[in-house]
Amino acid sequence: MTTSSPAATFEALDDLDAINKLYRERRWSDGLPIVPPTEARVARMLACTRRKRDEVIAILPPGFGEATVERIAINAVMAGCDPECLPVLIAATDAVAQAQFNIQGIEATTNPAAVWLVLNGPIVRQLGVNATFNCLGQGTWANATLGRAIRLILQNIGGALPGDMDRATQGQPAKYTFCCGENEAQSPWAPLHVERGFALEASTVTVVGAEGTLNLNTHSKEAGELLRVIAESMAHPTSNEYCHGGEPWIVFAPEHADILKAGGLTKRDIKQRLWELTKMPARQLSVKEILRAQASRSDEYGEIKPDTMLSISRSPDDIWFIVAGGPGTHSVYVPCFGNSRAVTREIT
Amino acid sequence: MVKRGKAALTICSTAFKSLGHAQASALGKKDLPIAVMPHPFGLRKRDEVRAIAEKCADDIAALVTKAGSK
Repeated sequence: MTTSSPAATFEALDDLDAINKLYRERRWSDGLPIVPPTEARVARMLACTRRKRDEVIAILPPGFGEATVERIAINAVMAGCDPECLPVLIAATDAVAQAQFNIQGIEATTNPAAVWLVLNGPIVRQLGVNATFNCLGQGTWANATLGRAIRLILQNIGGALPGDMDRATQGQPAKYTFCCGENEAQSPWAPLHVERGFALEASTVTVVGAEGTLNLNTHSKEAGELLRVIAESMAHPTSNEYCHGGEPWIVFAPEHADILKAGGLTKRDIKQRLWELTKMPARQLSVKEILRAQASRSDEYGEIKPDTMLSISRSPDDIWFIVAGGPGTHSVYVPCFGNSRAVTREIT
Repeated sequence: MVKRGKAALTICSTAFKSLGHAQASALGKKDLPIAVMPHPFGLRKRDEVRAIAEKCADDIAALVTKAGSK
């Protein structure tokens, strides 16, 4: 176990406005008011983990800051998290630092890459994480504060300040917060964490390098047609997925999941069909993007010609989905950063 | 590379210059040489890109020579 020095402390006026002014001036916030991370609040947060406060969980690019348990806890307090959320954030911090996630690229890119947290297992109920109505929207404390906390961790420990080491051209709203649970009770399939090798009773967090959300509204009631219109919505010439062979994600509404299940489709069947249906002739990309695809994917395709059918991902197994949301005919396409692979960690 | 005693530098465009310096500093190599090219390339003609590349090659040679002589 690697350890690091304690976080610095400083005296401040017992005045919320003054403290927020200080945090604004020092760029320690995400642009919203914070909860002051007093020693008492941080101690309450730390009481929810058995790990030592000086344990280094990860070194976070682009600034290569040491994410100790204590520093994660400080940012969790600032985000407004309940103390019981700390183990989720420790696991998520470990996950984003894994090489395949490519946090250096996600934080320093001009792309609007956000970190999406997907929670599975008993932790969803224990923390009150929303997996149903409006689960990607406002209104649920756990979703809002967990997503906000990972952003503050990446910014304050990892050093990814907008315009400095975070080079996003515009960014996106999900960079404030992006977190939900899987609606396992309404999923007709095994949940995400089981598919990714964890026990059903385990609690996990999966981190995804996500570029946004696209509403997939269709009243189709036939599995084949439903997948076709979803696939045609996912295939677009400005997608990073086609340049690099990405890892697209879908949030299926329970109603859409039921239609696919009624059509006799397994998860693997759905991935295979989407992979085939999303293929796009290279000529639909711009000339520059064809050159970028050539640079990234020559090992798959050799020379890419205008009639080469490019796949959205290198393999059907790189297409992932969860079931989440409430009633309605809306699924969600979550395009990926491209050069990133999701990582799942057990929350302990 | 620098930590292994090798002369090293990085290359980036002007839009990423501050990122390059900040990361070099964070890694304890504040004086890492960085060759900087104008940003963006997209609308430049082939001759312009060639001129930029040749200028950059000269900069790289000078920076590596300087770093190697320290």
